[in-house]
Amino acid sequence: MNRALTVARLQFVAWPSVVGWPWAILTLSFVINLAVYGAMDDTDLQPTTGGLLSIYVMMFVACLNSITQVFPFALGLGVSRRSFYLGNVLQFVAQAIGYAAVLYLLAVVEEATDGWGIRLRFFGLPFVWVENPLLRFLGYAIPFLLLGFLGIAIALVFKRWGVNGMLTLTTAALIGFGGLSVLATWQHWWPAIGRWFADQSGAALLVGWPALLTLPLAAVSYLVIRRATP
Amino acid sequence: MSPVATVTDLTKQYRGVTALDRVSFSLAENRIYGLLGRNGAGKTTLMQILTAQNFASSGEVTVFGQHPYENERVLSRICFIKESQTYPSNLAVRHVLRAARLVYPGWDEEFAQRLVDDFQLPPQRNVRKLSRGMLSSLGIIVGLASRAPLAFFDEPYLGLDAVARQIFYERLLADYTEHPRTIVLSTHLIDEVSDLIEHVLLIDQGRIVLDAEAEALRGQVVTVAGPVAAVDEFARTGAELHRVLLGGTARATVRGDFGAAEHNRARSLGLGLEPASLQELVVRLTTQPNGHAPAATTAGATSKEAAR
Repeated sequence: MNRALTVARLQFVAWPSVVGWPWAILTLSFVINLAVYGAMDDTDLQPTTGGLLSIYVMMFVACLNSITQVFPFALGLGVSRRSFYLGNVLQFVAQAIGYAAVLYLLAVVEEATDGWGIRLRFFGLPFVWVENPLLRFLGYAIPFLLLGFLGIAIALVFKRWGVNGMLTLTTAALIGFGGLSVLATWQHWWPAIGRWFADQSGAALLVGWPALLTLPLAAVSYLVIRRATP
Repeated sequence: MSPVATVTDLTKQYRGVTALDRVSFSLAENRIYGLLGRNGAGKTTLMQILTAQNFASSGEVTVFGQHPYENERVLSRICFIKESQTYPSNLAVRHVLRAARLVYPGWDEEFAQRLVDDFQLPPQRNVRKLSRGMLSSLGIIVGLASRAPLAFFDEPYLGLDAVARQIFYERLLADYTEHPRTIVLSTHLIDEVSDLIEHVLLIDQGRIVLDAEAEALRGQVVTVAGPVAAVDEFARTGAELHRVLLGGTARATVRGDFGAAEHNRARSLGLGLEPASLQELVVRLTTQPNGHAPAATTAGATSKEAAR
């Protein structure tokens, strides 16, 4: 466990670039949105932007890099795969919790200032409303984990099975999702699927289902990394 | 003295290619080993398996008495500086050193800083902007300052100029004298390190073809030159590794147990005799004329070496 903590700290040796980039890009996106909608000066407009997504995408990319770049470095320094995995998860879960807390607070400020004075919704949860404060917080945190583990899992397929592994994974995903949508169209399931999504609560869409998807990804990633070579 | 690492019948196959073929040897404590061999001989693969970065197809590997795979106790005492080691793109030189300092229990920060000055490495520069030689220096600094009880240097001097290489050899020797440990140097600049290494492991096409003390080897291989008949006669006292014919004279590299008696004999036969360099021995043992295995006559001597 000590070793895992060391790995977590190791990922922050250049912390300004680790923490700085995601927030710099999010800030830039926010300022641009603020300027654009501020300039429109249309009080009937209640703009909702997708700018918040940028920080989630950054987390996904950071987790890809943790496997393709930090993993070979850490193993070269004599760290075990288990310690690397635990330490890596530890540092990105810590980031997810920290980032979610800041986003939560910014959303509170956004609400209190009536959308920064121009009814802009940037940090507020985009398409659903979650009343419970804990669930609201998790609504910010859990998607970080889902995207992070998705990044880790994809990068590990590349690390362990190379380009052929990636091609196989892509093909399987295309056939899987393509086949399902053909089936859904053929059987006229789309309205039912739409209803199912509409019936889900915000908490289920942002917290419950992502958490349920994250767990198997985390487990599979652990099994894959144990036999991966740097 | 129990060995630091033991390898028994280690075989590694990649899709039909045999990278390592029933390799067996052991590394003793506090010695400098030269792991020699041509490109693609299996040196890196061997070190990767010893450090649990790669997996053996069959055979046993024991490091510090245990299997290294996922073994924190073992891994924290190993440092493996790969020639192809990559670093995360957001790190500068000083970040890499800070990371190494976090990981290695025996890290000597002052020594690391001194080496940074010696190699004139810019601490603020991003690793992706380092030249090949600077990257090698960075690996060397991590490997030396880690003070890991078992350190592997894989072609550590790529891109380094002669001055920097000399600094490396000097610092390595000085620090090794003060803090004895086991060091494995994989290299093909054999002449440069021949004074440094105490034990030679020569690997060719995935097989260990030589496992011997450097000191013992020094008198063992000689080059004799003179009339063909005399060379023929002298060559019978050992195993002939190589011969160049020039008219009526021959120049042969012979391996055997050469004492004063043999030297006198060579003189009486009218032959010039001089000790061959380690590099020459390596070249002779790993060159394959007509695609045959290197002189079958060496097999006896090799197995005798390995048995010791």
